[in-house]
Amino acid sequence: MVMPGSGFNSSSGFGAGLVGGVEFDEKDASSVSRVAGVEYTVPLYMSTVKAEAGGNETTAYLFGVNEDYFNLMNEEAEFGELFTKSDVSSKAKVAVIGSKVAEELYGDDENAIGKTVRFEGMRIKVIGVVANTGDSQHDTSIVIPYKTTFGSVNPDKTFWAIYVGVSSKEDIESVKEEIKSVLSKRYSEDDFSITEQTEILSMINQIFDILNIVLVAIGSISLVVGGIGIMNIMYATVTERTKEIGVMRAIGATERDILLQFLTESLILSVFGGLLGLIGASLTVLVVRIFFPASISLFAVIITFAISSGIGIFFGVFPARRAARLSPIEAIRYE
Amino acid sequence: MIKLQNVSKIYQLGEDKVEAVNKVSLHIKAGEYCGILGSSGSGKSTLMYLIGLLDRPSSGKIIINGDDVSKLSDVELSKVRNHKIGFVFQSFNLISRFTVLENVLMPTKYTKGKLDFDVHKKAEELLKKFGIYERRNFFPNKISGGQQQRVAIARALIMNPSVIIADEPTGNLDTKTGNEIIKLLESLNKELGVTVIIVTHEKDIADRTNRRIYMKLYTGTV
Repeated sequence: MVMPGSGFNSSSGFGAGLVGGVEFDEKDASSVSRVAGVEYTVPLYMSTVKAEAGGNETTAYLFGVNEDYFNLMNEEAEFGELFTKSDVSSKAKVAVIGSKVAEELYGDDENAIGKTVRFEGMRIKVIGVVANTGDSQHDTSIVIPYKTTFGSVNPDKTFWAIYVGVSSKEDIESVKEEIKSVLSKRYSEDDFSITEQTEILSMINQIFDILNIVLVAIGSISLVVGGIGIMNIMYATVTERTKEIGVMRAIGATERDILLQFLTESLILSVFGGLLGLIGASLTVLVVRIFFPASISLFAVIITFAISSGIGIFFGVFPARRAARLSPIEAIRYE
Repeated sequence: MIKLQNVSKIYQLGEDKVEAVNKVSLHIKAGEYCGILGSSGSGKSTLMYLIGLLDRPSSGKIIINGDDVSKLSDVELSKVRNHKIGFVFQSFNLISRFTVLENVLMPTKYTKGKLDFDVHKKAEELLKKFGIYERRNFFPNKISGGQQQRVAIARALIMNPSVIIADEPTGNLDTKTGNEIIKLLESLNKELGVTVIIVTHEKDIADRTNRRIYMKLYTGTV
């Protein structure tokens, strides 16, 4: 994969690499394709678009590529067909879409074939649907010939990256070197980078791992702080209702009755908190959906309620136990 | 019915030991209407809490209906309190979050197992009898002191207890309303045969009871 900027693996970092770099054009793609050992060269234009068909709307990733993209990605059409070299050169208004896009816009995969999808002022005919892979970027993609993007979508005729496929694994290093020297004629060496797929994957995984650790750490701290908050509220409630506890004991409540009553209260408190959190998350997801495909899984909902109940019980036990162990007469006398 | 044998209660106040109740032996029979008298600090409240099973004696035995209750567990004691004893307090002690009717029904919520009577019907009967049926959906702070105390008595009666223990039931009421409450307790004793124990420091009230138990100041004895 050839990218602008100095790439992921340099000290300049991910963001800086993308910003300062060059923008590739068709000329770069063809010079890369002439390098010995290169089997496929796929110029890649990428953006997110709001796609619309028959009144339905969805956010999707738009890919502008050539026919080799499907070979490189090992993709086949589940329904319909893929676009061809002549579709690319004739700027045909055809698209191959991911199954999730098909479902959102047309109800099901098969139904999508032959229909029209509209985005960015273009009307494009769906000729194929690729099988569901479970990868959300892949399943929410609309793939069209890159030349078709040259117009309203991509007036500068530039690419975000150039994907390269080699005929044999042994060639990777030599092909990388060769591409580097070819592109160096046009750009400074710091302005682009050549990365193998596996490197990118491990890099991205690393970034997500760090992000996950940070999020889990923040989450855990919030849970402990929130739990202590619940504990304080419950202690205050117990103190406030000391006399009431005494009266309940006098009319026949056992220690267990009182314990359960206060545990239930703290449980309701914390589960209510979990519910508020879920509502907040749903609203956030609704906003994020405008830019990226996002959703809340059932698993996340279950985990939320499990953890918030756990917090309620754990931090509610101490105040509830204090309530239950109050001596009835001292409680009744309490003012 | 209620027997106290050499019952003592000793409190530890810092370094000092306070003998609030000292070797008291008593026998209160079923259907009695009796008053426990004494000035403040004489230990009458402690004695009442012991009889009401809210406190455990430091030594001695408390026997109710022939059973020694000194050694019962919390669950068993709570059950006896729930079924056999009704409390009426000086400051009414109704739960302000609940309505009059809900307050009267409170003891039934803590009963394990089924009751052999319709609790709602019983609660309504009691409220009607005490002239506060129209107030059943009011919250306690919206009704008068006398009415609140009547709600408290209805709550004490809902489980058909054999004893009602009233701790200064007229303490927060004016003389006229206080008299009405005392009359009500008297009528319960006469009509239903409920044992009524009134703890008070007012001589007028004590004089109306059939039996008076005097606590002596400082010694904790009867």
